[in-house]
Amino acid sequence: MRTQRTGYWVGFVVVLGLLTVAPLVLPEFWRRFVTEILIWGLLAMSSDLLIGYTGMVSFGHSAFFGLGMYGTAAALLALGPPNLWLALSSGLVSAAVVAAFVAYFATRLRDIYFAITTLVFSQIFYVIIFTWTDMTGGENGLTFSQPPFSIPGLGSGRFTPVTLHWFVLGVVTLSYLGLRRITQSPFGMVLQSIRENEARTRAIGYHVERYKIVAVMLSGLFAGLAGVLYAIQNKFAAPDFVLFLVSGEAVIFNVMGGMGTLVGPVAGAAFFLLLREAFSRFFPEYYLIPVGVIFTLMVVFLPQGLLGFLRRRLNA
Amino acid sequence: MLSLQDVHTYYGKSHVLHGVSLEVGPGEVVGLLGRNGVGKSTTLKTVMGLVRAADGRVVFDGRDLTGLAPHHVARLGIAWVPEDRRIFRLLTVMENLRTGLDRQGVTEPRRRELLDKVYASFPVLRERRHQAGGTLSGGEQQMLAIARAMTLEPKIILLDEPTEGLMPRMVAQIREIIDVLRRDGLAILLVEQNVPLTLEVCARVYIMEKGQVRYRGPAGELRANETIIHQYLGVSA
Amino acid sequence: MIPFEQLLVQAINGIVTGMILALVASGLTLIFGIMDVVNFAHGDLFMLGAYVGTTVFVTTGNFWLALLGACVTMAALGAALQITTLRPLLGRDPLTTILATFGISLVLQNYALWQYGPVPRKIMEPLTGHFQLFHIEYPWYRLLIAMLSGVIIGGLWLFMKYGTYGIWIRATTQDRLMASAMGIPVPRVHTGVFAIGAAMAAASGVLFAPLVGVNHAMGFDFTLRAFVVVVVGGMGNLGGSILASIFLSLLEAFASLWVSPAQAVIVSFIVLILTLLFRPTGLFVPTPK
Repeated sequence: MRTQRTGYWVGFVVVLGLLTVAPLVLPEFWRRFVTEILIWGLLAMSSDLLIGYTGMVSFGHSAFFGLGMYGTAAALLALGPPNLWLALSSGLVSAAVVAAFVAYFATRLRDIYFAITTLVFSQIFYVIIFTWTDMTGGENGLTFSQPPFSIPGLGSGRFTPVTLHWFVLGVVTLSYLGLRRITQSPFGMVLQSIRENEARTRAIGYHVERYKIVAVMLSGLFAGLAGVLYAIQNKFAAPDFVLFLVSGEAVIFNVMGGMGTLVGPVAGAAFFLLLREAFSRFFPEYYLIPVGVIFTLMVVFLPQGLLGFLRRRLNA
Repeated sequence: MLSLQDVHTYYGKSHVLHGVSLEVGPGEVVGLLGRNGVGKSTTLKTVMGLVRAADGRVVFDGRDLTGLAPHHVARLGIAWVPEDRRIFRLLTVMENLRTGLDRQGVTEPRRRELLDKVYASFPVLRERRHQAGGTLSGGEQQMLAIARAMTLEPKIILLDEPTEGLMPRMVAQIREIIDVLRRDGLAILLVEQNVPLTLEVCARVYIMEKGQVRYRGPAGELRANETIIHQYLGVSA
Repeated sequence: MIPFEQLLVQAINGIVTGMILALVASGLTLIFGIMDVVNFAHGDLFMLGAYVGTTVFVTTGNFWLALLGACVTMAALGAALQITTLRPLLGRDPLTTILATFGISLVLQNYALWQYGPVPRKIMEPLTGHFQLFHIEYPWYRLLIAMLSGVIIGGLWLFMKYGTYGIWIRATTQDRLMASAMGIPVPRVHTGVFAIGAAMAAASGVLFAPLVGVNHAMGFDFTLRAFVVVVVGGMGNLGGSILASIFLSLLEAFASLWVSPAQAVIVSFIVLILTLLFRPTGLFVPTPK
């Protein structure tokens, strides 16, 4: 047991080290690529909390992600000098509100109905954002400038691509550690128990609905955080990201990487993005065909995903 | 004709059958007794392919059935009448029978013959032929379940507790039906809790305990020696 | 006040769209009822069916051949998909079938984009011309759509009620294991039902095509609507999904008198949410005690 934990932390430090050094040695394109993997990885992890740990498939993460983006945009455009922390909190609050809303309606429903309802919700939000042109810029979305990194009392400085990457890495790493803490806590154990056998968990006396609501809210929060990071990195918010496809991609990352492992989905995100890059060389527009085929084959033949074999080890 | 050879079956992690071996010859009526939960129904389900045997073999007419899907097993000539009857509640009596009648290779005249034969044995089904299966009484449903199995023209019928929950009058009717089936040359593997009935109709009897066959012998032996029954079933004959 | 004619036209439009939706949704609910599969790719079968229809139409110039060709092709594709991708998943967690059909949906959507390109295609309606409805001219073709959908659904109902295959389907839906024990080849029944569902989706696609033009995004909209219908109508309940289709389409048609069609869809979503909250087994299904 001792060696296993040490092994884990060694691995963790190594990966973290590689990711920290990456922007210094990689060319521009790949630097952005790695940063994007981190952001999508965060989205994937948030989704894993629901799919992998609680057993609830959600197709609504695009709503949380998108609201995180728009919340950030709102703070950066509406409130005085652009403030990073304000933008962050604004994005998180927006996502949390949406998550609470979705959680309230959807958690009392069984798997399939839950999945459909989350899908419907993300569509509702898409329609609202798309048509409420005054507030949201409609089809064109909103653009804004990147806020500087500031520590109150210490001063501020603009982000460079490298420092931005480190900021994202920091946030994602903290989120990962936070999620890890959550999944290994008694709360996390109850979630996994719900995944394994909901009826029994309820029979033992746990108020399943409450746990599910909290799970959805936490998941939404981290998904929103991913949206905030994406908005800051790319300096825009667009309705496309509220579309179902983003939710779908989150699910793909989960399946490909291995549900219920937290690191798996990040690997899944990396794998998917790499596949997309690779296939884009040959099929510029239609990379989703081979990727879709691989995904489907994995669902049927490799349901545990790439890193699924680590599930037991990581959750001991 | 039908033989189970050291069959082991699991439900998930639960080891239910611990090496069951038994035989049924052509036209034989064989009983399978035992307390609740010893694995009698599971034995029938394993034969039928509804549950997969993890070890051991099920052989029918020289053919290894292990791993075959239930619809193949049915087509080879084994019919199953489950414990809870499992009538198609939303189908009419007629449609229930048709699930067996409408097989490949059965001509229209033969179908009508079979149907008439079935109605002759169970006149009440003819009366209720357009009624939904779910509206029949318990006894009528049991008859429908047996009739349905007969439409498959099987070589052997697996009967799981046909008299459970039935009034004595109906039990007598079931007994008659078993006689009819036997006279037709059908073999029967009868799982029952009703010991007297079993001893009356069966030529040989197996008694199971905890997933294994603990006793095998002619029914006459059991009739003569009540202590064996006490020993395994804890009830008087 | 909205003129009466406009209301009437919208009502008829609602019924027409409702019938097409009913055709799509019945396939979906049939598939769910019999094998517990939520077919995410159903709308894409609709879309691809419409595209195949355009190809046949371009080659033959005949609408009816296009309809037939689309149905046959998509039935074959549906069967192939079911055999390769869904059969191995039988007995596994229903989550995996949602994911698998989602994957199929991705592939089909992008395949259509690849093969047919982003420019919308057209099929000419077989029946042009309008008739007088009060002071408004109403196209004959729309009525034809409603009638044809009705005929197809009616045909499905008869097939389910009287044919041997219909009995097999109904028995398998009620009790798959017992059906299998009665010698019914359950895997083949599943494949057949999937093929029928795909064919119905394709038929809807071809019928719908002359109204809007065929593009690769038309599938998703219909998938979503079909899901809403199936839930509101009661999953696995054929009659319910037909009623729900018409009901929801009428609501949307009336709503689009006040808001844009893109926003009118929210009405359906509201009904969905209300149904899930208060009558989760379906709006038109009596709540089980």
